[in-house]
Amino acid sequence: MMLVVGLSHRTAPVEVRERLAAGADALPQLLARLASRRELAEVLFLSTCNRVEVFALPRSADGVDAALAAVRDELARHGGAPSGDALAAYQYEKRGDDAVRHLFRVAASLDSMVLGEPQILGQVKEAYDAALTAGTLKGTLGRCVSRAFSVAKRVRTETALGAGTVSISSVAVDLAWRVFGGLGDHAVLLVGAGEMAEAAARSLGNGARALRICNRSFDRAASLASALNASAVPWDSLAAELVQADVVVASTASPTFVVTHEMVKRAMKARKGRTLLFVDIAVPRNVEPSVHGIDNVYVFNVDDLEQEVARGMKARQSEREGAERIVEDEVAQFLAWTRGLQVQPTVVAMRAKTRAILLSELERSLGGRLKHLETDRAALTQMVESAVNKLLHAPTTRLKARAADGDDARELALAVRFLFDLQEVGVPSEPETDGAAATDAPADDEHLTH
Amino acid sequence: MSLDLANALFAATAAAYLVASVIFIAELLGRAGRFGPWAARLVAIGVPLHAAQIVVWSLVLHVCPVEGIHFSLSVASMFACLAYVLARRRYRVDVVGAFVAPQALAFLLASRFVGHVSDEPRLRSALLPFHVIANLLGVALFTLAFGAAVAYLLQESRLKHKRFVGASRLPPIDALDRAEHTFLVAGFPLLTIGILTGTLWAREIEAGGAAAIARACLSYASWALIGGVLLLRAAAGWRGRRAAFGTILGFGLTLLVLATYLIRNLRPVSAVAGLHA
Repeated sequence: MMLVVGLSHRTAPVEVRERLAAGADALPQLLARLASRRELAEVLFLSTCNRVEVFALPRSADGVDAALAAVRDELARHGGAPSGDALAAYQYEKRGDDAVRHLFRVAASLDSMVLGEPQILGQVKEAYDAALTAGTLKGTLGRCVSRAFSVAKRVRTETALGAGTVSISSVAVDLAWRVFGGLGDHAVLLVGAGEMAEAAARSLGNGARALRICNRSFDRAASLASALNASAVPWDSLAAELVQADVVVASTASPTFVVTHEMVKRAMKARKGRTLLFVDIAVPRNVEPSVHGIDNVYVFNVDDLEQEVARGMKARQSEREGAERIVEDEVAQFLAWTRGLQVQPTVVAMRAKTRAILLSELERSLGGRLKHLETDRAALTQMVESAVNKLLHAPTTRLKARAADGDDARELALAVRFLFDLQEVGVPSEPETDGAAATDAPADDEHLTH
Repeated sequence: MSLDLANALFAATAAAYLVASVIFIAELLGRAGRFGPWAARLVAIGVPLHAAQIVVWSLVLHVCPVEGIHFSLSVASMFACLAYVLARRRYRVDVVGAFVAPQALAFLLASRFVGHVSDEPRLRSALLPFHVIANLLGVALFTLAFGAAVAYLLQESRLKHKRFVGASRLPPIDALDRAEHTFLVAGFPLLTIGILTGTLWAREIEAGGAAAIARACLSYASWALIGGVLLLRAAAGWRGRRAAFGTILGFGLTLLVLATYLIRNLRPVSAVAGLHA
């Protein structure tokens, strides 16, 4: 039974989350410590800005509570808290179906602060890679995480949960794409050098051919320019810069328009009509609204951008229901698969015993005559395998179907073990590794291969 | 060559263009989903089928593919599709397929069900092949320029009305403007060759009459208009909206010239070969 212990932006303030967060450097040591706990068979540690979660698989079906306590203790120790209970007020715990559902919802960005944001999937992948490297993912949990990637992909493909733009800077980037495609051949001009300008520059300026910063205080412009690998230009040259730039991000605190209709009209003449985009994120506005009426000039102010953010959020919310349905569908499929694994040891034992009996009888009856006939031996081995498959097809599929349907297949498995006199009487309720599933048809041809 | 093969190629080409058109329109409406990328692929599949159809059909009928206005239009639309397939990635104008594919389908169907291949020895001349081929390629490129211009105006309207984000599948406005200009620049010399050879050819065969003069005037007007669009862009920065309207008008005049041939060819007695100015 899978379990998760964690805290997120919904349950804990940033002061608590940051204490428990683990960067890439700390992760191997933390995973090693968790894996060393005898209560835990598999572990995944997910740490992002908005959540810190430990997904784990207990060593045995009876050890779920002990495993939860072990994870709580390790989290508290990592966060410098005196005991596992110290973080109880901020933590949540889920087990079984709920834990699987939680993982799928997290990967599909249904539990994110910004619904549908794409970064979370990358962060889950990083956590998965770290756990694989540390050797703390061996079977069912590893399979569950890789299944979560497929769920996230399905949600992206079949719904528009990730469509639309939901932040001012991403709307600005989207706008630049709508107008220019990419900014590789285009120059960005920041008018103003405040925090807003800096945030916009980090989004827009990255792929731009050139990034210039024009500010009333040249020193401030120069300082920001050096931080952003841009160039500072004097305030007096603003009109001239409008001829060179393709995207202008205005964010000064000026109470009057900094960019006027006349300025842009003159600039457009000098630009020979080349397209010019203004993103005016200042309040009061920096760009005269009538500029939007000039041919090949587009002006978007903060209201336009915020409206688009609201539209994007609304559109994503409308997709939530469809995404949740996909998650439920995938959870059901995954649980059916894990339940099928419960009877796997019985199936394997039943097949192994049947095969061994048939091979042994064959050896006893024909062993001497087959000593030098390799071709006949291979054909008879194949025949035995075929007989095992046909003989055990119905009990195998019925046993697996009973388990997959959610019925308790434990009693049935015990009955099969009793009837066939199989050696391992206990039926594990959870497989330890995928290896168990892979041993469906072991090749035990010892009797005929020598 | 068998008639069956020609018919099979015709049906396959028509099916490819038809499905591509439907997907393109669904894509514009934001409803194509995972089928979206198939629209351009189907046009790419349609082009060789279309070319094969033209070759086989002309062998079956024993006529040159560029004889008869309807057949010529089918060839022109095939060239338009080919140019689209070659240019769509470079200029990011996938959406232009929404104009090219339905037009190709219409001309393909017209070549089969409306057109009458005709021949008139009096009209034959050494200039005719140059005239027809230049015009066919020119029309193909202007079709793409027209598609880019319409897409430009749609995208421009979205941006000016600030319906700028959401499910739009239109390419960036700057890419559309550049693509439209590139297609015009490539098509204009061909139009010029078409007009020159048409004028010389008309003199050679001593063509006259009000219809021929009207057709010539329309041809000169379309040449002057498209030339003007290109000149004003270079000299006075007439880009974007103005250039798009000029392109649409220029393409409209070119279509009018073609329409004069179509109307003439629909008359049962008339028998005219070639596409001439």
